[in-house]
Amino acid sequence: MKNLLDRLRGVERDALKEPRADDAPYYEPQGNEIMLFEAAYRRRLPVMLKGPTGCGKTRFLEYMAHRLSRPLITVACHEDLTSSDLVGRFLLDGDATVWQDGPLTRAVKAGAICYLDEIVEARTDSTVVIHPLTDHRRCLPLEKRGLEIEAHEDFMLVISYNPGYQTVLKDLKPSTKQRFIAIVFDYPDEAIECKVVQTESGLGDSALVARIVAAGRKARALKDHGLQEAASTRALVYAASMVAAGVSPIDACRSAMVDPLTDDRELAEAMLEIARAHLSGS
Amino acid sequence: MDSAEVEFAIAQRLAVLAQLSFVAHRDVVATLPAIRSFGADSAIKWLATAEALFSHDREAGKAFIRGSKEAARAFRGVEPWCAHAQCFTAWRGSGSAVQAFMDALPAAAAVGPAVDSWARIGLDWCARHLDSGRAYFETPVGTLLGAGDVNDLRQLLAPAIELCSERGLALGYYLPGALRVRMLAGTASVGPWARQGGDIMKSGRNRGELFFALASEESRAALLEHLPGFQPLAHERLLQILLAVWFGQSFDLKQSDWMPGSGRPFIETDGRSLFLPAVLSSREEALVAVWHAAGHLAFGTFEQKAIKELFQAAGLMHPPLDPDQAISWRPLFLPYGEDQARFEVLFDLCEDLRVDALIHRCIPGYLQQLQTFSDGSVAANAVPYRRFVRHAWHGLADPGVRDQRLAPLWAPEARPIDAFLVARVLYASGEFPVLAANECSDAYPPAHGPNAARPIYPRGFRETGPARAANPDVGAEKRDGQSEASRRPPKETQGSDPDLEIPPEDTAGAGGRIGVGLPQPARLTGRRRTRTFLASGRAYPEWDYRERRFRARWAYVQERALDERDPGEAARLVAMHRQTLRRLKRAIEAQKPRRLAPRKRQLDGEDLDLAATVDFVALRRAGLAPRPEIYCQRLPRRRDLAVLLLADLSTSIMERLPDGARIVDRIRAALLLFAESLEEIGDPYAIAGFASKYRDQVSYYPIKEFDETLDARARAVIGGLSGRLATRMGAAIRHALARFDQASTSRRLLLLLSDGRPADYDDGGDPRYLEEDTRVAIKECTDRGVHPFCITLDPRGGDYLKRIFGDGHYLVIGRLSDLPAELPRIYLRLRAA
Ligand SMILES: Nc1ncnc2c1ncn2[C@@H]1O[C@H](COP(=O)(O)OP(=O)(O)OP(=O)(O)O)[C@@H](O)[C@H]1O
Ligand SMILES: [Mg+2]
Repeated sequence: MKNLLDRLRGVERDALKEPRADDAPYYEPQGNEIMLFEAAYRRRLPVMLKGPTGCGKTRFLEYMAHRLSRPLITVACHEDLTSSDLVGRFLLDGDATVWQDGPLTRAVKAGAICYLDEIVEARTDSTVVIHPLTDHRRCLPLEKRGLEIEAHEDFMLVISYNPGYQTVLKDLKPSTKQRFIAIVFDYPDEAIECKVVQTESGLGDSALVARIVAAGRKARALKDHGLQEAASTRALVYAASMVAAGVSPIDACRSAMVDPLTDDRELAEAMLEIARAHLSGS
Repeated sequence: MDSAEVEFAIAQRLAVLAQLSFVAHRDVVATLPAIRSFGADSAIKWLATAEALFSHDREAGKAFIRGSKEAARAFRGVEPWCAHAQCFTAWRGSGSAVQAFMDALPAAAAVGPAVDSWARIGLDWCARHLDSGRAYFETPVGTLLGAGDVNDLRQLLAPAIELCSERGLALGYYLPGALRVRMLAGTASVGPWARQGGDIMKSGRNRGELFFALASEESRAALLEHLPGFQPLAHERLLQILLAVWFGQSFDLKQSDWMPGSGRPFIETDGRSLFLPAVLSSREEALVAVWHAAGHLAFGTFEQKAIKELFQAAGLMHPPLDPDQAISWRPLFLPYGEDQARFEVLFDLCEDLRVDALIHRCIPGYLQQLQTFSDGSVAANAVPYRRFVRHAWHGLADPGVRDQRLAPLWAPEARPIDAFLVARVLYASGEFPVLAANECSDAYPPAHGPNAARPIYPRGFRETGPARAANPDVGAEKRDGQSEASRRPPKETQGSDPDLEIPPEDTAGAGGRIGVGLPQPARLTGRRRTRTFLASGRAYPEWDYRERRFRARWAYVQERALDERDPGEAARLVAMHRQTLRRLKRAIEAQKPRRLAPRKRQLDGEDLDLAATVDFVALRRAGLAPRPEIYCQRLPRRRDLAVLLLADLSTSIMERLPDGARIVDRIRAALLLFAESLEEIGDPYAIAGFASKYRDQVSYYPIKEFDETLDARARAVIGGLSGRLATRMGAAIRHALARFDQASTSRRLLLLLSDGRPADYDDGGDPRYLEEDTRVAIKECTDRGVHPFCITLDPRGGDYLKRIFGDGHYLVIGRLSDLPAELPRIYLRLRAA
């Protein structure tokens, strides 16, 4: 029954991560994002992480949560997400009814960082509940219970937002956007990307990593030729991981960076050609 | 037979012949001793054949007798040719055929046992058509058999049998062409080539005969199509994509007039376009050759300044321009007199090395790839040149083995003049042998070739290459090296809108020549205008980025109807894309939820909404009075997305692409498929076009409004679409925005279909001006809750599109032919997201 209810509520991926003292998640800074985030946190301003898929937004937040010793509650937003899914609802329990907090409410109470991943995926009427949390009021109205809770002083709201082709029709309202401090992410510099790919994939040969990264970065230029999504840092990590697992570099690039990204034969051929140019003789 | 009997038999034959003809008798008597030397039986047989042929046809007999001495000598007897010759008695007037047969015999003897088949095939042809048989025998045996065997020959002739019987094509018309096709492209290519010729034959005998003689363009094209090897232009999009990736610019690729048999195929350039031969030996070599040739354009081989320097170094005046504004490098080599070729090749090779070194920096693996190509067999005199280049490549990769004389070439800032000076040193060194005219082409390494095979149009200083789809009509304006802007408004005279009748004298002084010369500041005050300003229609503000303010009531938009209609074209296009349309409909079907997406939390409905019910009960128990919204309704969701497709109808869409299609044809098809798809989907939609000529004449052409149905008229208008004038995007967007007031949906999408950047006659040649205004217009869209999205055909649009529309709000269609299918598909994707 619990499972069924959970499924009905559509909260499949809200995860509360307690900070752990030991292993910080690996994150390679790309610029001043840590400084910006810390400043925003000091002032308890809500933050919007903006950037293409697979460029390290999620990882960054995991890292920051650890660095600031805050628990992190992640909600992967989707179309059927309702405001009750965020805030909470009454449940039947025997003869009685119990109120169960939603992930947002829990974060507000516990002083956690609440991360609404891909917020544009959710319908706007579900996300209006965050408005009072994003300005000076810092409170969350629980309409059904007829009360309003004040946010814990350490609570912080973070949303991510990938301004892309897939979300053209779901752009955030300008009035919503303006409530956030935006930190813009992009694929990192070449040297940093090499370091990320090497560390994440565990591929020892750094010259080879550099070539894979160079090929991937070159292939990003194909975005202007009909490629919808460029090869992300994640895709490069995958490619290098495949090599580390014993796949030949060309095949690894094909399976991680080319075939998943396009069905266009000529684009795929061009990407492979780029990979070949960079990787031949390795 | 004893000898007496033999003598008697011979005498008898001779007597008969003497009676038949004096000449025949005389010739036979003269030839007989040579035949008799192979035995009396042979002589008798031969005499019988001669007599039979002669009495059948005097010419045939004479030809036989005259050719016999040589034939007998070659075959050491009269077999089998006497028997073959006998067969000619079956056909009347076979004299010239016999002549050809006899003439061919001495050479035929050399092919051994195959000779019988060779003769039989020819005789079969005689039976079909005597003249064809003659043509067969007139063709040297060696040529007929080529490198292959008799089966090869049969295969070569197989298509001709049908052509002869069905189309009456004589073998004489077929053979020479077919033999060349076989030589150049292989036996397997003959069949398809001939089949194509047969089809052409149906449409006209003359055209067909020219085809088979390989004398027509279509025939040569058919041959090229069947050549073995890599056909670079069949992969043009791949080349273009990779060129853009490697060099960050696009190049104009054309087919050269190279034909097989005319020497090594090289890529040539005139400083503007790359001319690729129809076929190159392998894919790898072709790619590298294209990179190399593009490298020359990208790295300044043909830059105006560089050419000037060269001529100065050679003590010459500025290079003379020919009437077409092109130059030749010839004068640079003239001082070397007889030895020109040697210096020219050395200069080419040095310049190639300079360029290779630079390409090596931007294409990893380029040099390694180059070194993997084998030299093949080359003239002995060319070998030192090849060795020199290989050594230089080697040195490029490994500084330890560098030839110090080449050091100036390796500097990143090296110029053609450096190559010229190095070539002088090499020339003087005496290491390089004199090259005969036919040895020069051997001196170039794989994927390289002469750099100045054609007259060169010097390239402007900051030129980034011609636009992908250069408008042939504005080509003249592009020669000044200012072709960097991907699109410029057309000249005054063309594409004039029937609706925009402005007397030419009124427009002449109005800054319309912005395609020429350096960008000037936009003339926005209108002070120097001589044409009358027409303040009609709706006025819109325009953003001036230099003054950081709006110019109030600046652009005027008039709504006009499109008068050209072509219902036939519309029907043809829909029929042509039937398949695509069917596939689209399936995709649309799949996007519709199988079971209608239920509307949840309704007061009334077919099913209980379980989640809502639980909430409801829980709230009741908690003492609240929730609304009983506990049902699901299986009604289709309200249509909540409206789309307006705004198509750029400027002149540039009239361009014809290398494959013969015009952009406008694809746009018509795309709009039709889009409309048909939207009918299927059921979303409210509108379609409109726009064009402009000065700020006061922006035309907005409604094609289908939100509240109209897609009727025959709308289809016919789309079928008759044509391009005109320029692209003042911002004003058109602002005007389109008001259309959404008709649509009562929560989500609104403005789809812009374009093929280039915004430009107009009076933008003063400053591309930023209208670009900035468009960017602001797009922002106005978002502010009003309309989502803008741009679909463009401009492969070089990345930069300005990003600035105008923002990341992820545009898409470049890489292949024009994809547009019709892609446009509805993109909408489906946007909508489903
Ligand atoms: N700066 C970085 N430091 C460490 N790892 C990184 C960094 N950038 C990217 N990565 C790697 O890329 C992967 C993808 O990153 P992440 O999941 O954070 O992307 P994202 O931006 O959240 O993508 P999406 O928008 O698809 O959710 C990570 O798992 C990590 O391996
Ligand atoms: Mg060259």
